[in-house]
Amino acid sequence: MIKDTWNDLIIHNPMLIEVTRFRRRFLSASSAGSANGIILILCLICYATVVLVVIENRDSISPIALIGFETVLLSVLAPILLYNAIAGERERRSWDLLLAAPITKTQIVVGKFMGAMAALGVAVVLFQVPILISARSFERAHFVTVLNADFLSVTFLMFVCSLTILFSARVKRGLMALGATLGSLISVLIVLPAILAGGNSDRHYTDVAFFLHPFIAFARLYEVDDYLFSQAHSVVSVSTLTKSFTPATPSFFEGFVQPIWWGWPQALTYLALAIVCLGWASNTLNFAENEVKFLPHGHKDA
Amino acid sequence: MLEVKHLRKEYGGLTAVQGISFTLQPGDIFGFIGSNGAGKTTTIRMIATLLEPTAGTAVLNGADIRKDPMEVRRMIGYMPDFFGLYDDVKVWEYLDFFAAIYRVPNKQRGEVIDSVLELTNLTLKKDAFVQSLSRGMQQRLCLARCLVHDPTLLLLDEPASGLDPRARAELKELIAELGRMGKIVIVSSHILPELADFCNTVGIIERGELLAFGPVSKIVTEMQPHRVLAVQVLRDSDELIKQVAEMPNVVAATAGSKGEIRIEFTGSLEDQADLLAALVSSGARVAALREDSADLEDVFLKLTTGALN
Repeated sequence: MIKDTWNDLIIHNPMLIEVTRFRRRFLSASSAGSANGIILILCLICYATVVLVVIENRDSISPIALIGFETVLLSVLAPILLYNAIAGERERRSWDLLLAAPITKTQIVVGKFMGAMAALGVAVVLFQVPILISARSFERAHFVTVLNADFLSVTFLMFVCSLTILFSARVKRGLMALGATLGSLISVLIVLPAILAGGNSDRHYTDVAFFLHPFIAFARLYEVDDYLFSQAHSVVSVSTLTKSFTPATPSFFEGFVQPIWWGWPQALTYLALAIVCLGWASNTLNFAENEVKFLPHGHKDA
Repeated sequence: MLEVKHLRKEYGGLTAVQGISFTLQPGDIFGFIGSNGAGKTTTIRMIATLLEPTAGTAVLNGADIRKDPMEVRRMIGYMPDFFGLYDDVKVWEYLDFFAAIYRVPNKQRGEVIDSVLELTNLTLKKDAFVQSLSRGMQQRLCLARCLVHDPTLLLLDEPASGLDPRARAELKELIAELGRMGKIVIVSSHILPELADFCNTVGIIERGELLAFGPVSKIVTEMQPHRVLAVQVLRDSDELIKQVAEMPNVVAATAGSKGEIRIEFTGSLEDQADLLAALVSSGARVAALREDSADLEDVFLKLTTGALN
C-alpha cells in the first residue's frame, strides 16, 4: 500500500515532467524566454559575488546568517516559481486535458510541488558552498547547529511552496495566487510580529509568541552557539542580541523556551504544515468556474 | 459500445441538456450538430467525466461515467473546443507525458509516439517545441495526445475550428480513418457539409433536446420522404403547375423561384422520364430538369429554430 502510493506519487508520477519544465523555464539560458539567459547570468554574477564576499570574510560571517539570507531569497523565489502551477493551467485551458485523464489530484499536486522543489534544490545546493566555507572558518558556529538551521530553511521553503500551490489551486488567476502567498508571508513574518511585539522586548514573551517564526529560530540558534563559544573561550560575545546576557548570565537557558527547542521543532512543524497545505490543495482542485471533476465520495480514486 | 441514457444537466434554473439518449457502436462516427449554446459541449463534457450529470448517465463498454469515471477516462480521448498545451516541452515529451498518465508501458511508448505522430502527420516535428507549432499542428498534436492510449471513444469538440481548408481536409480524412479503425468518434461541428461527408450517424440538438438521431440518409429521408424535382420552364408556369399536379406519382407541385416548378415525386426514374415526356408533349418548353436532394444543412434548418437556452 505504502509502496504503491510512493510509486504513484514519486517514482512513476507522470507529473514529474514538471521537473523538466521548471528546468527549462528557470535554469536554461536557451529556453523560450528571451530574458532567461540575461537573468541567469545576473544570478550567477550575484552568486559569485556572495561566494567571494564569504571567502574574503569567512571568519566573521556566520553560516546561520547565510542560511537566513538564503531562506529570505528563496522564500520570495518559491511563489514566483509556483504561482501559476494550477491557476495557470486553468487560464491556459490545459486543465481540462489533465482532468479528463486518469490522473489523481494528489499526483498533480505532488508533481507540481516536486518540480518546484527540484528547481529550488539547485539553489539550495549552490548556497551550501558559501555556507560550508563559512561553517569551516567561523568559530562561533557549531556544525550540528548549521545542519539544524539548514533543515529548518529547507522545510520552511517546502511550506512556502505548498502554500503557493494551495493558493494557486484555490484562485482563478495566477497573479492572485502570487499576491495571496506573498501577502500571507509578509503578514505572518513581518506585520503580525511587529504588532504582537508592540515594543515588548521581554524575551520570554517573544520566544513564545514567535516560536514558529523561522527567522527568530535562526537568531536563537546563532545566539546559543555564540554564547557557548564565549563561555568556552572566555571571550565576549559578538552577538548584539546576546550581549545583555553575557558574560556570566545565561538567562536564555532559564527562559521559557530552552535552546534545544529551536530549529528542529519549527522544521517539523513546517513539514507538517507543508503536508497539510498539499492535502488541502488536492482536495480543493475543483474550485474553478469551468470544471467539476466528479468522483463519488469514498471512491478509491477520490 | 457507448450508451447515453437520459443524460440531463441543470445549472441553477437553466436546463442545458434535457435527458438525451442514444447508443453508438464501434466504428460509428457521430456528428453532433447544434447552434452555439444548444448543449453539445455540455453533453460531451459529461461523457468526458468533466461535468457531473444532474440525472441520467452514460456507459462505455460497461463502465458508468458516474460510478467509475476513472475507468471511463482510461477509455476516452477528449479534445476540447479550446485548449492549451505546455509550450515549454517538446512534441515527443508532451506525448510521452500523456502516455505515462495513461500507463502505456515504458517499452512501448517510443513506438506508440512514433505511430501517433505518423498518423497525425507530425513526425517531422517530433523534436520541436510545442510553442513553435502552428495552430493546425497544435490541433493535430492534441488529437495525437488523445490517441496515445488507443482509446475506445474519441470526443472531439469542434476539432476543425481555426483550421485552414487543407488542415480541415486532412483532419476529416484522419477522423474517417479512426472510424475505420473501429473507434467510436463523437464530433461536434458547425460545418455541416463536412460532417455529412464522414459521419455515418448524426444527432441534431437544440435547447438541450435531441431532435433527430440516426444515419444521415435516414434523417434526410425522414425529413423529406419524397424526391423533389425542379423543372425550369420558359413560359408562364401557373397553368402548367395545375396540370403537373394531376399527373401520376406527383404528390404536390408548387412554384419555385425563377420560373421553376418544384414537384414532389414518388415515382421511379422510368416514371420520371414519363413525366418529362408528358410535360414536353403538353407543349411546355422545358429548359431543365434536375433532382433537388436535401442535405444535412436543409434538415438542420428545417428542424431547428435557432432558439437558445
